Amino acid sequence: MAAPRELIPEHELVSESEVKKLVKDYNIPLEKFPKMVASDPQAKKLNAQPGQLVKIKRHDPTGKYTYYRYVVQG
Amino acid sequence: MQAEGIDHIKFTTISPDTIRKLSVAKLIVPDTYNEDGYPIDGGLVDQRLGVIDPGLKCKTCGGRAKTCPGHFGHIELVRSVIHPEFAKTIYLLLQSTCSTCHRLLLTESQVKDIGAVVKTFVTAEEETEPTTVDITTLTSTISEQDSKMLLVKKLKSVKKCPHCEAAQPKLKLERPTFFYVNGNKIKPDEIRDWLSKIPDNDLRLYGIDPTATRPEWFVLTTLLVPPVNVRPSITLESGERSEDDLTHKLVDIMRINQRLEQDIDAGAPQIIIDDLWELLQYQVTTYFNNETPGIPVARHRSTRPLKTLAQRLKGKEGRLRYNLSGKRVNFSARTVISSDASLTIDQVGIPRRIAENLTLPIYVTLWNIDEAKKYLESKEYPSVINVILPGGIRKRVTDVTRDELLKELKPGQILERQLIDGDLALFNRQPTLHRISIMAHTVKVLPGRTMRLHVSVAYPYNADFDGDEMNLHVPQSLEAQAESRYLMQPHDQVLSPRDGRPIMFIEADELIGSYELTKEDKYFSKDDACRMLAAVGVYELPKAGKNGKYSGRSIFSMILPKDLNLEAKSSDGKVVIKNGELIEGIVDEKLVGMSGGALILKIFENYGAKATRDFLLNITKLALMAAAAMGMTVSVKDYYNPDALNVERAKIADDVARKAESILESYKQGKLERLPGYTRKETLELLVMAQLEEARRIAEAALKKNVTVENKAYLVAKTRARGNILNFVQISMLLGQQSIRGRRPSRGFAGRVIPYFKKNDKSPGAKGFIRSSFFDGLLPKEFYMHAMGSRDSAMTKSLVTAVGGYLQRRLINAMQDFYVGKDLSVRDASGALVQTLYGGDGVDPTKEKMAQEQKAK
Repeated sequence: MAAPRELIPEHELVSESEVKKLVKDYNIPLEKFPKMVASDPQAKKLNAQPGQLVKIKRHDPTGKYTYYRYVVQG
Repeated sequence: MQAEGIDHIKFTTISPDTIRKLSVAKLIVPDTYNEDGYPIDGGLVDQRLGVIDPGLKCKTCGGRAKTCPGHFGHIELVRSVIHPEFAKTIYLLLQSTCSTCHRLLLTESQVKDIGAVVKTFVTAEEETEPTTVDITTLTSTISEQDSKMLLVKKLKSVKKCPHCEAAQPKLKLERPTFFYVNGNKIKPDEIRDWLSKIPDNDLRLYGIDPTATRPEWFVLTTLLVPPVNVRPSITLESGERSEDDLTHKLVDIMRINQRLEQDIDAGAPQIIIDDLWELLQYQVTTYFNNETPGIPVARHRSTRPLKTLAQRLKGKEGRLRYNLSGKRVNFSARTVISSDASLTIDQVGIPRRIAENLTLPIYVTLWNIDEAKKYLESKEYPSVINVILPGGIRKRVTDVTRDELLKELKPGQILERQLIDGDLALFNRQPTLHRISIMAHTVKVLPGRTMRLHVSVAYPYNADFDGDEMNLHVPQSLEAQAESRYLMQPHDQVLSPRDGRPIMFIEADELIGSYELTKEDKYFSKDDACRMLAAVGVYELPKAGKNGKYSGRSIFSMILPKDLNLEAKSSDGKVVIKNGELIEGIVDEKLVGMSGGALILKIFENYGAKATRDFLLNITKLALMAAAAMGMTVSVKDYYNPDALNVERAKIADDVARKAESILESYKQGKLERLPGYTRKETLELLVMAQLEEARRIAEAALKKNVTVENKAYLVAKTRARGNILNFVQISMLLGQQSIRGRRPSRGFAGRVIPYFKKNDKSPGAKGFIRSSFFDGLLPKEFYMHAMGSRDSAMTKSLVTAVGGYLQRRLINAMQDFYVGKDLSVRDASGALVQTLYGGDGVDPTKEKMAQEQKAK
């Protein structure tokens, strides 16, 4: 966790029910979401396991939006 | 791109048996044609391999040159050789198997141990299954690369075989194909023997499917020979035959193979046989890849390197990128471009000769059959070239066939008609860096030999008219025509996808014309006003001013929409347009030019694409008329300094140089304060450089003070119509400090740039400070410094374009099939998510105004 915390957008685990909804909304299987490795510092912090989905709340200068990453082995 | 209907693809290696079965001929003669010019049986152009000469029949399929697809033959190698592309794989297998019993250097329990490592790869659903993992499922869950790496890492260091307890030798691979056991070279035969003894089950652990591939096949005993169609020979005008490089290479292989066989049969000494064997290995290696690292390149008699198998496929000129990814097209044209101020941005002027050659299909229906008939009847220019009947048969229209084709004309046929005014064609200039490098223009057939375009679309194409050529493509299908019409016309591309500002605007002569026309207190006679307005198709006059003349602003207002209201900033101040009347301000670059284009933007937003197109045409014509009416000439006189300015100029250079010298002096005395993070030497250079670069700025100020309103060179630079102030300063005042990689020139001779100077001379003049102007001419020493600076910037520029071009190619290849979905998410071709919201904000700059208005509602 080398980067200053204010530079890291907020990460949180997505609940199972919400995962189901997202899979339906985006109309793709979980594997087709962008990926992050389980050894990523933020994944470790959340104790995210492979197969789970992490929500990232990004607040960029141009706008706010949510991003998702599917945790994979690594 | 998405593959459809392919379940899976499996690549395997070919076995010697398969090669023999595939082969129609065993080749035994290392030659091609005999003295009569007839193919030798058993030679490399054996007629069983297919025929390419017209008149001959294939001995395998009986086909002629056009119908015979060609057939493979084979060569039996007397001694086996390593397949060079598999050398690494062979090395890997040898390292991880026992040299004595040839089994994998793992105990049964260790195999399970690897399973444990692999188990972590297994996903959550599979985890509930029993922990004993079958070897076959195991290899399928991890990639081939991973399993290989795992094994070799573990097994390279194993000293003793766990099965037969034999000590393991040290192995070495000398690129590309030589193997050593404990420092002794081993022959391909022995390697083949070793590999053939590795048990099937052990192979599965490597990700090798033993039912499809056996590792001993990596060592070649037979060589597959491609049919002659793959390596055609060329008959030169002199009647001499020239064989393909591959044929040459195969002749070499066969020749060595034959010599090796003879020597073995004759019982030659082992050294001679070994030498020939290695030579055979070399020939086979270069046959596959003539750029194999570590061995000399095989050459043609003319010392040209041979183009063998790998070279045919590889790189920009290889089969993949040149022939498969890059296709040539029909219905296209290319010629030099030139400008035409009377065309709209949507039009393109096409030479008559091109229009006569390009065609557009008319799909004949009940409703257009009369029109179709008209073109078919015509004997000259807009006429039909081909008629395509429903079966796809193409018939050329000639004076002989015309009457018959006219009689048979009916719906369902397709007529290929010559290109006429109003057709759509795609216009393109390379490098095609962005989407506005290809746009759909309306054809206008013109006399001459060049393609003509409006000057304002030259900028998006990055074209100029100093000999640039552009390409034209005529969309053939109705879908393509519709897409071109509704998406690709220049008037729909006026706003830049980068920042939403106009990228089609006016420049140069038009810009200075517009500037001068809309200056305060600019009045034109009735004659001039009429002439200018008539050029843009306006046949009424604005209200005359008090002096009975017409102001430039009132003339300009005539091409504005009648209800346009705009307040904007120009470079000189405020611009006010009220009810289509230019009340105040100068219409300059900020309004209709490169930096901003506020007026063009406003017209695009309020009056639409087509109004913008018309406005661009009108302002071009009007401004050119204005510039012509007033005269706009830059002459040497503009760059000539009065004596007083020359005196001031000398003083400026002296001042700056003296200040720089004083910094140098304080450095020499050790008084110079070090800047944070720099050494004393660096500090000196930094300060001196900054001081000397001041010269240009001061000179610019002095020049500006001196310049008169009549100075058109200055005016043109100031309005950014052509050139910039720095150009002016360098012509009239002084060149200033030259720099190499952002520093003063320093290299060349010991302690100086040219031997003219004393060693370690750090004075301004010795380090590239030029006091002369281009008007004066440069001193030899100055010229030298200037040349150094020029070369440096030329090198940097070419490097930057090369790097940038490659970066662009990589990005395009990576992103070519991304799209923005209905929910504004970015997906790739498989639908996989790339971004949840396009660009993180979902903004399309060209549609920003619309989005804001929608929000306001």
